[in-house]
Amino acid sequence: MIRDATGRFGYTPSLVVVVSAAAVVALVSVSSGAYPLSVADILRVLAGRDASDPVASMVLLDVRLPRFLLGFLVGAVLSVSGALLQGLFRNPLADPGLIGVSAGASLAAIAVIVLGGTWLGGWLALFGEWALPVAAFLGGSATVLLAWRIAHRAGQSAVATLLLAGIAINAVAGAATGLLTFYATDDELRSLTFWTMGSLGHAGWDELLIGAPFMVLAILVAPWLARPLDAFLLGESVVGHLGYRPDRVKKAAILVVGLGVGAAVAVSGLIGFVGLVVPHLVRQLLGASHRVVLPFSALVGGTLLVAADSLARVVVAPAELPIGLMMALIGGPFFLGLLMRRKVM
Amino acid sequence: MVLSVRNLSVSLGGTTVVSDISLSVAAGEVLMLLGPNGAGKSTLLKAVSGEISSTGRIVVGGCELNNWEPSQLARRRAVMPQRVEVNFPLTVEEVIALGRPAVFRGCVDPVVQKLMEALDIAQLRHRLVPELSGGEQQRLQLARVLGQIIDTPGQRVLLLDECTSALDPAHQQLVLEFVQRLAREQGVGVLAIVHDLNLAAQFADRLIIMREGRCFHEGCACEVLTPSVLKAVYGYRARVIPLPEGYPVIVPLGSGPVQRAPSKPSCRQAS
Amino acid sequence: MMFRLGPFVLAVLLPALVQADPLRVITADGAITEIVYQLGMEARLVAVDTTSGYPPATQSLPKIGYLRALPFEGVLAMKPDLLITSEQAAPKKNLDRLTRAGVMVETLPSAWSPEAALARIRSVGDLLGEPGRAALLVTALETEIRRVQRSASARERRPKVLFMLAAGDHSVMLAGEGTAASALLEAVNADNAVSGVMGYKPANREAILASQPDAIVIAESTPGQFDIDSWPELARLQAWQAGHRLVADSMLLLGFGPRLPQAMAAVNRVMPSDARVADHDS
Repeated sequence: MIRDATGRFGYTPSLVVVVSAAAVVALVSVSSGAYPLSVADILRVLAGRDASDPVASMVLLDVRLPRFLLGFLVGAVLSVSGALLQGLFRNPLADPGLIGVSAGASLAAIAVIVLGGTWLGGWLALFGEWALPVAAFLGGSATVLLAWRIAHRAGQSAVATLLLAGIAINAVAGAATGLLTFYATDDELRSLTFWTMGSLGHAGWDELLIGAPFMVLAILVAPWLARPLDAFLLGESVVGHLGYRPDRVKKAAILVVGLGVGAAVAVSGLIGFVGLVVPHLVRQLLGASHRVVLPFSALVGGTLLVAADSLARVVVAPAELPIGLMMALIGGPFFLGLLMRRKVM
Repeated sequence: MVLSVRNLSVSLGGTTVVSDISLSVAAGEVLMLLGPNGAGKSTLLKAVSGEISSTGRIVVGGCELNNWEPSQLARRRAVMPQRVEVNFPLTVEEVIALGRPAVFRGCVDPVVQKLMEALDIAQLRHRLVPELSGGEQQRLQLARVLGQIIDTPGQRVLLLDECTSALDPAHQQLVLEFVQRLAREQGVGVLAIVHDLNLAAQFADRLIIMREGRCFHEGCACEVLTPSVLKAVYGYRARVIPLPEGYPVIVPLGSGPVQRAPSKPSCRQAS
Repeated sequence: MMFRLGPFVLAVLLPALVQADPLRVITADGAITEIVYQLGMEARLVAVDTTSGYPPATQSLPKIGYLRALPFEGVLAMKPDLLITSEQAAPKKNLDRLTRAGVMVETLPSAWSPEAALARIRSVGDLLGEPGRAALLVTALETEIRRVQRSASARERRPKVLFMLAAGDHSVMLAGEGTAASALLEAVNADNAVSGVMGYKPANREAILASQPDAIVIAESTPGQFDIDSWPELARLQAWQAGHRLVADSMLLLGFGPRLPQAMAAVNRVMPSDARVADHDS
């Protein structure tokens, strides 16, 4: 084994393994799907030498490629957000889904879909095609802030309070979503299903264009918070003693999570579990330092989501499984296994 | 003075927990805070470290506390809280490195090595912190805190809240001797909360004993640790024996009024 | 450049598509699938969506998923020449992509009246290149529809009908205005007892009692799903006790496909006679 004295895997070999896995999954993802394309077909299209089969080039370049990229970004940003929240709350159970951030983001998006024609018409006029991502982003940020406030107020018992707050936030957001669906027309309901189930099924270059800037920004900014977040693992007061400004760190992390999760929800709906499982896995193998956890979570999370999506596309072909369902099917048992083997969180 | 506190008061939820405390710590001096539970020692320390808001003046290294740039302050003032809980799988070495300047990231930091050896945790360097015993964790946190200021030139302050409470007697001596040496040799000013009267008598240059949020008495060990003061502050009966080493030893004689009858009901019945 | 492939794809594929025989067809809408079977053109079908459950022979065809979440590659993999679906189909993006990939995508409007239902049959016939068969079917259905409508319009008063939709285990919805259920009632000269509610809304037990309908129709999404024992207030309604009630398959009742005359006849049969309606009003 290539474990070092701490029982962890070395960074360089791990990086090689993770990047290779990402490359393999990328290949599998663009070469598998309901529509049959041989490796030769793919190579021909990629070489740009094949004008005789425009459908193959469309499937590959217009559907599978943006879907792979979007899936990777969404997986990466959800994992990074999970890692940020877990560090911020000093709680390995914090996850965008669990504390209600995703629910808040999707509630905001649903509100825009259902009320866009009436009360929120001004919002649509103001933001145009950005109305949904911006709403999801604001909804996500507001929920992180709320969860933080509640957990912070409770002081020492923050762990339990946080989870209870999450349950309450999820319940309220769920109820509000239900209320909105009650007033939704059939047409609107159709779009709502997508938000609550999670899907990459309509992913295209447009979605990528809208969501990618936010998500890439969130993924790139996060490592800047690694050192103060490490300090957060020792407690909020220690953050200040070590020369950081806890409030600034908190605000930055909340902004990044709101931005990233909001954008992810905006383009792919609700996808759970990846934000919880991936940082956990990375910490088990490589340690808890955020300088390692954040970049590796991005890589592993992206790879895992793309792998799950590739599976979701082929198991019931020609139909597709919802990606959220697939993620829970893979992530759930995996997480349980991890819990049973663990020594410390 | 590396630390000077003037007329400091703290109110928590409408109750005055610390009222009108003034103190100062000179370079190289070890000042220890004594007092019963709830006397306001930890609150005072938190206020001095800027963790909770207070009224009064706090001057660290010649500059008002609030005017310090946080990253600069961290190199000159280190704070060890009563309890630091680590739930995540960080190693001993990683936690100590958190207190070190960023330049040492990724290369061997000789100071970390030296501190681990001095505090007897070098053999634990690759262990995960949540797996350590309470005493090991306490030494680790002290190493992290000392690492913040140990190689900074100029005026430095160390604030310690019960840094030896989980240690065995031998490690208590080891740790406090190291802190004392740091003060003597490098001129670090130390403000430390302790509960063990004998450790206070042995290591403090000066003592402040607190009661109900106020300073009850201040002075050297032989002035503060007298039977009458201990009786008044703790309700604690003790005999104070001066030692040839130059500090007294405090021998407890039980609590409360002089006991004529045995306090255990079962014993009373038997008699 | 990949955004502009569409016209080019069509130009390349259309000639091949016209020559190709037989046409490979996918239907994504239960009623449209029924039409294809009724026209006897099922040999052309290569796949259907999950709302296509009638006739039972559809079970043997590959399923491309739900009409409202059509997968692009899944549809394309069946190599269809033609996809016939309804305006409920989603996501629109995938329909556009299919068009660009050379699939002829025909989105037919929902049919919420006998006339529209017949028009839709003609459209499907035209798309499959069999307008003659469609015309025959339409004529036959028209005759039956007229017969039911004659009987329905013989009633002097329009009865009030409570229309419910049993979709999940415990989910029973009241059909309000602007629904296929309302349209079906309209077709048999009856009124919806639930007014002022748009779409399908969860059933309120008191509202059921208050509605005082002349007849009750319950559409089940799977047979046997509706259990009258869990709805005592329904059983207490006069209309239920008098037998003015119908429990039937939702695809039959709400599909507006080739079984529309059957659906109309079934609903019309449980309407009370004029005397009964008048009695109720007084």
